[in-house]
Amino acid sequence: MKFPPRFLFSVLFGMSLAASVAISADPPLGLPSVPVPSDNPMTAEKIALGKQLYFDGRLSADNKVSCASCHDPAKGFSNGDRFATGVEGKKGGRNSPTVINTAYGVLQFWDGRAKTLEDQALGPIQNPIEMNMTLAAVIKKLNGIDGYKSQFKKVFGTDGATADGIAKAIAAYERTVISGNAPFDKFKAGDTKALSEAAQRGQKLFFGKAHCSACHAGPNFSDNSFHNIGVGMDKKDFDKGRADISKLSGDTGAFKTPTLREIAKSGPYFHDGSAKTLEEVVDHYAKGGIPNEWLDEEIFNIKIAPAEKADLVKFMTEGLSSPDYPEHKAPELPK
Amino acid sequence: MLRSMAFLLCGSIALTAVAQEAKPTAVLSGLDNPCGVAVQGATGHVFIADHKGVHRLDPKSGKAHVEISGFPTDIYGKGPKYNIGPLGLAFWDDEHLIVGDGSRPDGDELVRIYKVGKDAPHADHPPIKEDAAVATLGPIKASEESAKGEGNFYGVASNGKSIFITCNGDDTKGWIAKSTATNGKPGALKLSIATKVATEVDAPVPVIFGPYGDLVVGQMGEVSTPPGDSLLSIYDPETGKLKKNYKTGLNDIAGLAYSPKTKKLYATDYSWSDPKAGGLFRLDIDGDSIKAVKIASLDKPTACAFDKNGVLYVAVFGTVPEGSEKPMGSLVKFDSGL
Repeated sequence: MKFPPRFLFSVLFGMSLAASVAISADPPLGLPSVPVPSDNPMTAEKIALGKQLYFDGRLSADNKVSCASCHDPAKGFSNGDRFATGVEGKKGGRNSPTVINTAYGVLQFWDGRAKTLEDQALGPIQNPIEMNMTLAAVIKKLNGIDGYKSQFKKVFGTDGATADGIAKAIAAYERTVISGNAPFDKFKAGDTKALSEAAQRGQKLFFGKAHCSACHAGPNFSDNSFHNIGVGMDKKDFDKGRADISKLSGDTGAFKTPTLREIAKSGPYFHDGSAKTLEEVVDHYAKGGIPNEWLDEEIFNIKIAPAEKADLVKFMTEGLSSPDYPEHKAPELPK
Repeated sequence: MLRSMAFLLCGSIALTAVAQEAKPTAVLSGLDNPCGVAVQGATGHVFIADHKGVHRLDPKSGKAHVEISGFPTDIYGKGPKYNIGPLGLAFWDDEHLIVGDGSRPDGDELVRIYKVGKDAPHADHPPIKEDAAVATLGPIKASEESAKGEGNFYGVASNGKSIFITCNGDDTKGWIAKSTATNGKPGALKLSIATKVATEVDAPVPVIFGPYGDLVVGQMGEVSTPPGDSLLSIYDPETGKLKKNYKTGLNDIAGLAYSPKTKKLYATDYSWSDPKAGGLFRLDIDGDSIKAVKIASLDKPTACAFDKNGVLYVAVFGTVPEGSEKPMGSLVKFDSGL
């Protein structure tokens, strides 16, 4: 299911809890239509509710941690830190993946343990080091807020908030966090001036010698697959990643390929946030990663000159940063 | 480019399971990771490539022998791991078999052509040695167009004028290599069609010629997730231009074959991460869309080929029980009617 034509406009809700939500039937240049599950169609009211939930710290035990705390629009929908910080300042063990274009993801989380955005949405709420709530507690809390209770009834026809409704509303909102129409897309569409010469050189490297497009492929610059890229593999108790979910030894140390769209804004990088800059990322790949028996065959030593590294970074930062970045602001929250 | 791709990509796909699945008949068991099947037109003998070499089977007598042996072993995957040897098979003419290599590292692998003759299988047949080919094509070494060089030649197609080989070396390109014949002799193997650039999906695997001479390619897609991302792509064999691209909804297309009787197209789905979803499918093309109709469940099927009477042979990996090293691969057939 794709966005229906009636959403070919931006809507402003006339409700007291106004939230500006842009929905478009036409995906931005370079991206396909956003896939929408048939049991969770997009509606303006649902997206607005999801946006409020996304930005509301009351979904956490200490009323301070919201989805946006770790997936902040101002920080590339990540959080700018190596690891996420949850309730009472607790630290997680993985970098916050960006929400940008996660609508195109096949599996969610770094290890792909959630099959849909709806499955993903309830995970952090219940994670003891993230939002540390039970579903029963968060439902009770939301149903104590008239503005939420009435919206859930209107959107889902339920007597207030439900776990299913929370998941669907947040997922629907996340499907509006889209970035396309980048200089790369314009260049590809024929605008020869859309990329600087350095970025064009970087693009050629990206899709050629530097081997980036072996995994960062397709419109969203992700193959939606899992790879061991030799990060953190020198630690005694390294993160096993996808293997903990798939139970396949070949997936040991493998993590989901992230999108590279808006990558300039969402650092630090890698599943463990161990690369502070894109220059460090390129250096890592050029060296071929940390050797280990599960290292992906696409990761190998690449001879690449310093000037070429700079061109690659230029392509990613300039070419994949959209003028239409989803600069979402926190809406007014129900009281 | 992206936009034209999106235009070419057909949005409508459907997976349908038939109520009554067709029943395959096992014709050869004990195969070790079989990946290639070809039928010799003149004799009806079936050739199967597995880790150990290339086998010849006479379906009438049920007798089989190893036709070509001595290939090295390469290991595919990091867990599970598979020993692999020769991969794709196709006939150049009635007596010459083209064998795509999978037994060496990328950049060293070869395409060999062997004179296999028409003799029926018998127990004391001396196998042809792997390096005793009448022609050798490749290797395709590392270059600017292929970072590590090419290898894992899963698919082979020949129309007597050209040979097309699917390669799985450089994952940024997804090459199909081509050899063009001069005076009846195959020429050098050259990189020809960058399928990943054309389709933005990984891994060309099966390749065949369609009824009207088009090159028909199965693009396997990612194996570690089951997103149904396999494509069926149609190319002009002369220009290499992508003519049509269909989403199939299948997880990992590994084999393709047109029925000589009904002209219907069949595909095998290996379905790496969800083997229960795999099997044999009929691909019904209707305008811009494909409906994949499940014909039979099979345990990790790979290559497939019809004989001239419409009998379909399918190579099946099978599953080796944990702790066992007994090969569980087989060749099965579906009697004519498909």
